[in-house]
Amino acid sequence: MSDLAVEVKNMTKVFSRGLKKSDYVVAVDNLSFDIKPGEVYGLIGPNGSGKSTTMKVVLGLMSPTKGDVKVFGYDSGDIRARNEIGFLPENPYFYKHLTGKETLKFYGKLCGFRGRELKDRIAELLELVDLESAANRRLGGYSKGMLQRIGLAQALIQRPRLVILDEPTAGVDPLGSRQIRDLILKLKDDGITVFLCSHLLEQVQEVCDRVGIIFEGRMRREGPLEELIQIEEQTAMTFSGAKPELLAKVRELIKADSGATIVEEGHPKTTLERLFVSLSHASNTDDKGDEK
Amino acid sequence: MNQTPPSVFEPAIKTVSPFSLRRVMVIASSSVTQLVRMKTFYFLLAFAAIIVVLMSLNPPTTPAGVLSTIKRISFGTMDVFAWLFAIVSTALLIPKDIEDRTLYTILSKPVRRIEYLIGKLLGVLWVIAISLLVMYAVCALALWSRETLYIAEELEAMNADARYSAENVSAQIALIEQQGLRPELGIAVLASFLKAAVVASVTIFLSTFASSSLFSIIISVLVFIIGHAHTMATSFWLYQTDNSLFVQLLLKVVKIFIPNFQLYSFSHGIIQGEAVAYSLVWQMTGLTGVYLVVFLFLSLLVFIDKEF
Repeated sequence: MSDLAVEVKNMTKVFSRGLKKSDYVVAVDNLSFDIKPGEVYGLIGPNGSGKSTTMKVVLGLMSPTKGDVKVFGYDSGDIRARNEIGFLPENPYFYKHLTGKETLKFYGKLCGFRGRELKDRIAELLELVDLESAANRRLGGYSKGMLQRIGLAQALIQRPRLVILDEPTAGVDPLGSRQIRDLILKLKDDGITVFLCSHLLEQVQEVCDRVGIIFEGRMRREGPLEELIQIEEQTAMTFSGAKPELLAKVRELIKADSGATIVEEGHPKTTLERLFVSLSHASNTDDKGDEK
Repeated sequence: MNQTPPSVFEPAIKTVSPFSLRRVMVIASSSVTQLVRMKTFYFLLAFAAIIVVLMSLNPPTTPAGVLSTIKRISFGTMDVFAWLFAIVSTALLIPKDIEDRTLYTILSKPVRRIEYLIGKLLGVLWVIAISLLVMYAVCALALWSRETLYIAEELEAMNADARYSAENVSAQIALIEQQGLRPELGIAVLASFLKAAVVASVTIFLSTFASSSLFSIIISVLVFIIGHAHTMATSFWLYQTDNSLFVQLLLKVVKIFIPNFQLYSFSHGIIQGEAVAYSLVWQMTGLTGVYLVVFLFLSLLVFIDKEF
């Protein structure tokens, strides 16, 4: 059994656009990354960058043209891999004629739950996502935030070891967004692996341990969040009780001034958003250079 | 020893069976709920209305003639409902799941694609079976009540008239009974059901690659119509040697890929009170099984590698 939750090795996905062999588009190009058990991994990228395709391949909804994708050691197309995965789609795609409770019952039964075990599981998940009062209402009458929460409950129904969240807070109000963020952190605390695709970079920065930035199907940067957002050529110093005049000659004076203490010295950090934008610009400049 | 309850998130490692009839039934029952909540059973009210209208009519014909008319119209309605419902509901269910992307969440659970296809087909057949049984029950009740009434009236009238012998009375009663409620009528209902099952399997196959429900419905109706000319096409193929290559190829396609729906038309004789040829019933049931397996297999060939 693999010691990785998700293992993507040299994955390429090509879609043909017509009958001609030359008419194709490369959605994902030689992508490699892995997610360790218990980790929260964020995959970020603009629309059309290959995030959804990557996610669908991990889910087994598509097969890669080249390369390997494994989930807990199983090939992503293997039914045993899907037993380990809970999936929350961007727009919750559920049967609108079912109530919240019936939706969880349907997905629970598909995962092999039944009887008392299923009933208890539904009750605890409804409580977790705070939808007990709306349990018997049809999903057609749910708000976007409620649909997202029932979607999360559905994703967790079979106690998966990996949860894949596609834009989990898209269209959700700030309060609902915070609830979902807290749930992700709870999952992390309980050792569940989370694979998150999101445009909300601030949210990714809040919850992710590692991040991959994907553009035009290629992984541009990937690694632990703390490393990614470091600015290597700069150093930050944080002072406590420093007088304003010390700032000008900070290094020379700091040792001489016994009243000032260095609290922290290290690399100042940018935000994930800034990194994302700068990489986007760099990518565009590279492409223009290639064209020339 | 006290055991701490598992956390809400605690992973549960479970085994997954390669094929699960339980998962198939979960999908089937969900499809039944979907069709029921789409208010598909409203047509039963329409059927009941047809029966009420038929019962209120008193055409100037013999009692046997009235019973025969009730049967022909009721069973004709049941048959049309069965195949039309099979085509429309099957053509709607799978494309709707794909369009609404509900299929994403279903197939991201430990569900095999063949389980999904069989589940959807069974769901449609389940609704058709229930509907046919309800319609048959309504029709049987109508026939039985009319038959009982006519027999009582005939007996009273013939016994009061000295011209009729006991044999004449028995013959007249037998004539009414022949057009009344008979157990063999159940085979006519079975024929409608099996025909609907084959049409549904053809539509499922078309739905796996069709770009719209409308396409599936139109092609399925065409297949259904052509399937009723199966024997004619086969005879043409067998006995005409001067056909062009195109006609010969077309006829071969009809012969191989289009189910023979004429197999099921022997039920017309049953409705008219003719004797049942049980060998035909077995042949019809067996061939229905073959058609279902073939079309499900073809559907799976397309669906298994379909990317969503």
